[in-house]
Amino acid sequence: MRPVAPDSLDTGLMRNLQKWNLSLPAALAVLLLLVVPVAATFTTTFLQPQGIFAPYLAFFNSGFRRTVLWRTVEVAIITTILSLVIGFLTAYVISKVPGKAKSVMIIAAVFPLLTGVVVRSFAWMIILGKNGILNDFLIWTGLIDAPLAMLYTEGAVIVAMVYLFVPLMILTLVGVLDNIPKDVIEASISLGASPASTFRQVILPLSVPGLIVGAVLVFTGSFTSYATPQLLGGERQMMMGTFLYQRAMVTFDWVGASTVAAIMVVVTIAIVLVMGRIARKLNPMAV
Amino acid sequence: MTVSLDIDNIAAHYGSTQVLKDLSLSVKAGELVSLLGSSGCGKTTTLRLVAGFLTPTSGTIRLGDRDLTRLPAHQRDIGLVFQNYALFPHLSVLDNVAFGLKQRKIEPAERTRRAKAMLDRVGLSDFADRLPGALSGGQKQRVALARALVIEPPLLMFDEPLSNLDAKLRVDMRVEIRKLQRANGTTSLYVTHDQEEAFSISDRVAIMNAGRIMQLDAPEVLYQRPANAFVARFVGFENLIPMTVKARDGAKVSAEAPGGAVLTLSEAEFGPIPDRFVLATRADGLSVQHEGAGIPVELGLRTYLGRAYQYETRSSAGSLIANGSLAEPFTTGDRAVLVPKPEQCCILKPEA
Amino acid sequence: MTDRIHPLLAVFAGLVFIFLVGPLVIMIGASLSDTNFLTFPPRGLTLHWFTHIFEVTAFKTTAITSLQLAFAGTFLSLLFGIPAAYALNRFRVELPSWLSTVYVLPILIPEIVFGFSLMKSVTIDSGFPVGLTLLIGHALLVLPYSVRVVSASLAAFDFSIEEAAISLGSPPLKTFFTIVLPNIRAGVIAAFILAFITSINDVSVSLFLTGPGISTLPIQILAYMEQFFDPTMAAVSVLLMLLTVGVMAIVEATLGLTFLTK
Repeated sequence: MRPVAPDSLDTGLMRNLQKWNLSLPAALAVLLLLVVPVAATFTTTFLQPQGIFAPYLAFFNSGFRRTVLWRTVEVAIITTILSLVIGFLTAYVISKVPGKAKSVMIIAAVFPLLTGVVVRSFAWMIILGKNGILNDFLIWTGLIDAPLAMLYTEGAVIVAMVYLFVPLMILTLVGVLDNIPKDVIEASISLGASPASTFRQVILPLSVPGLIVGAVLVFTGSFTSYATPQLLGGERQMMMGTFLYQRAMVTFDWVGASTVAAIMVVVTIAIVLVMGRIARKLNPMAV
Repeated sequence: MTVSLDIDNIAAHYGSTQVLKDLSLSVKAGELVSLLGSSGCGKTTTLRLVAGFLTPTSGTIRLGDRDLTRLPAHQRDIGLVFQNYALFPHLSVLDNVAFGLKQRKIEPAERTRRAKAMLDRVGLSDFADRLPGALSGGQKQRVALARALVIEPPLLMFDEPLSNLDAKLRVDMRVEIRKLQRANGTTSLYVTHDQEEAFSISDRVAIMNAGRIMQLDAPEVLYQRPANAFVARFVGFENLIPMTVKARDGAKVSAEAPGGAVLTLSEAEFGPIPDRFVLATRADGLSVQHEGAGIPVELGLRTYLGRAYQYETRSSAGSLIANGSLAEPFTTGDRAVLVPKPEQCCILKPEA
Repeated sequence: MTDRIHPLLAVFAGLVFIFLVGPLVIMIGASLSDTNFLTFPPRGLTLHWFTHIFEVTAFKTTAITSLQLAFAGTFLSLLFGIPAAYALNRFRVELPSWLSTVYVLPILIPEIVFGFSLMKSVTIDSGFPVGLTLLIGHALLVLPYSVRVVSASLAAFDFSIEEAAISLGSPPLKTFFTIVLPNIRAGVIAAFILAFITSINDVSVSLFLTGPGISTLPIQILAYMEQFFDPTMAAVSVLLMLLTVGVMAIVEATLGLTFLTK
C-alpha cells in the first residue's frame, strides 16, 4: 500500500474539497431518494397500532400469502438452477469456439438481453397460449387432442424466466471462462488430464465465483420480478412482485404492500449474504 | 529410459500463413536442445506442436518409438514448464505437484509421497499447503518445475520459463534446471529468446528465423563458427563485409570490399575462400593499426570498454566497428587501417 | 487448431440458441399475420398491425415519454456518475470504502421495492409531481451502470498523464475534458448505452409512477395486453427489437460487442 503523504496545506484543502465535491452529489442522491424512501417503507411496517410485528404476523398467518412467498422462492430456485446449468454449458461452448463464430454466438446471447422484459415475456405468451404455436404443434403431431392450458401456470413462468436470465448467465460466465488463463488449461492437459477431467478438476472449480455471482443475479432477479409473473402467471400464479403491486395499486393496502416489500428486501439481502459466504467457502483461491 | 525426440519435416499454418517450413529436428536421448530466436520465429509453435496444442499440416513427430503426431495432447506424457508458470490457482502447492500423478491414477498416499519428495528436491517442502497465489515468482517456477518432473516424463519442454523472473533469479534458476535435467537425464526441449540463457544451459542450440532452423550446433560452435550471415549477426558479429575475389596466387587470395579496398587473405589461415563471400568478424576481430594491409578507415566515436577501446569507423565499405588496444589510443578523426585477425574471422556464403 | 467440443455439447448449445432466438422470430412472424389474433406461422402477410400502432395515440405519447425519460435519466446519471467514478479512482485510498457500495444500491435493492417506495415517500408523502419522480427513479435506476462502467475505464487510466498535462500548464477542469474524458470515451459510451437500454425497458420502477396523465411504453404495452391480444403487440415488440438492433449496431461500430462480456 502506497503511503499517503501529507500534502502541503493548500493542495490538501483542494484535494479534500475536490474529492467530496465530486463524490457526494451522487451518493446524497442515492441516500435521499432511495435509502430514505425504502427505509420509510420498512418503518411503516413496524409502526402499526396492532403491534410492532403485526403486519408480518398477518402475512405469515395467511395461507394464501405463504403460498405466494413459497411459490416465488420455488420459481426463483428452479429458475436459478436451470439458468446455471444451461448458461454454464453454453458459455463453455462459446468460450471454446474461435473468433468469428464466437462473436455471432455472443450477439445471439446479448440480443435477447437487450430486448425488454415485456417483449420477451410476451413472446412466450404467443408460444404457450391456448391457441399458441406449441399447442398447435402438439395437436398437429397428434400427441394431444385438445389444447393444454400451459399459460398461467408455474411452468410457464419458469420457462419465461429461464429465457429471461440465461443470456445474463451466459454473458457473466463467458467473461469468467475467458479469464481462466489458457496455459493453466494446457498445463492440465499436458499433465495427462483428459478434456473431461480438465473441465471437472480445473475449469469448474475456477468458475465457482462466477457461478455464484450469476446465481445471485438470477435468484434476486426472478424473486423480485413483476412483468413475467404478471403476463405468464396472472392472478392464478401470484408471486411476490405481482402481489406487491396488487396490494398497493388495487387494494391500496399500503401496510400490506410495504410488508411484502420489506420481506423481498430481507430475502434478497439474506441470499446475497448467504451466497457470499458460500462463495468464500467454495472459492478455493481465498487464502 | 531416455528416448530421443524426432521432428521430421513438419509444417504448420495459422490460417493461410505458414509459420513453420518443413522443419526437422532431433533431440538425442538425454540431451537438452534450445530453440532460440526472436518472437515470431516459430520456436513456440514448434514446442506447441510437440505438446499437441497445435496440429502440424504435414510431417511427423516421434518420441522414442511412439508417434505423437496425431495423439491427443493429454496422452503425450510430456512435462511442460510454462512462461507464466500456469499453476492451478485453486490447488495447494502439493496438489499442483500431485495433479499429474492423479491423472495417472496413482493412489493418494503414493502420490502425496512422491509429490512431497519432489517438493523437497526443489526446496519447497515448507510451502506444500500454500496456494500458488502466496508464492513469489521464483517459488512458483520451482513448483511448475516440480509438477512437470514428478510425472517422470520421457520429454521435458520449457517455454521461456525464466523470462518473468528478475536477472539474479534467472541465473540461479537456469543452473537449477540444468542440474535437475542432468540428474534425471531427461530429454529436453527449451524455448527462449535469451541467447545467454540458451548457450549456458544447452547441449545444442537451434537458432531459428522465419519458421526455419538457421543453424543447430553446440553453443561453442555457434559462437565461434556461425554458418551463415543471419547466425553471425545473431551471435554478435558486428561486421559483415561482402567481398569479391579478384586474384588468386596459390593460397593467397586478393579480395575486394565494396568501395575498392583490397585485402589479401591466406586460405591457410582463413580456410577455403569462394569467389564471392562475406567476411564476418566481431569488433575484436579487426585490429586498429596506423598502417598496413587492411581496410582504410576514418575513426569516429571512441568508447571505453575496460579491456579495450571501441571505435565506430567509416570506410569505403561502410561503417565498421573495431576494438583497439588500450596502449595505443586513437582519437576521433584519425585515419587508420583495420586488419582482420584470421582466427576471429569467418568466411561465409554471400547472402541471397 | 481449437480444442474440440463434445458433439452432444455442441447440439445442446445449438438448442439453447434456438431457445434464445426462436421466440423472437416467432414474434416477428406473428406481427405480420393477417388475422386479428396472434398466430404463428402467420396466415397471410400484412403490415397492417404496424400501421395500427400509430393509430393508437397512447403508444405514440408513451413512446415519446419513454425516449425522453431514457435520455434525461441517462444524462443525469452520467452527470452525477462520472464525477463519482472519477473521485473513486482518483482518490481511492482517501475515500471511505462504503461509498462505492452506495452507488450500486439501486441495483441491490429490488427495483419493484424502489419504485413502490419512491411513489409512497416522494410522490404521495412529499407531494412531488409524478413525472419528476419518474425521472428521479429512472436516473437513480441507471446510476450504477454509469458509475461502474465509467469506473472500469478509469481503473485502466493512467492518472500520471493527467498530472503531466497539469504540469504543462493545463487547468484541472480543462484537463479533465481534454485529457481524461477522451481516454475513457469507450466507458462513457458503454455506460450510456447500458443505462439507456435499462431505462427504456424498465417496468418495475415505472409501474408505480405512471397513471392516467403519464406513462411509459412498456407499461402501456402491459395495459394494452390486458384488453386486447392482437398482433399489434407483436408489432410494437418488433419495433422495440429494431430499436435494439440499432443500438447494437452502434455498440458494434464503436466498441465491439465483446466488451459486454468484460
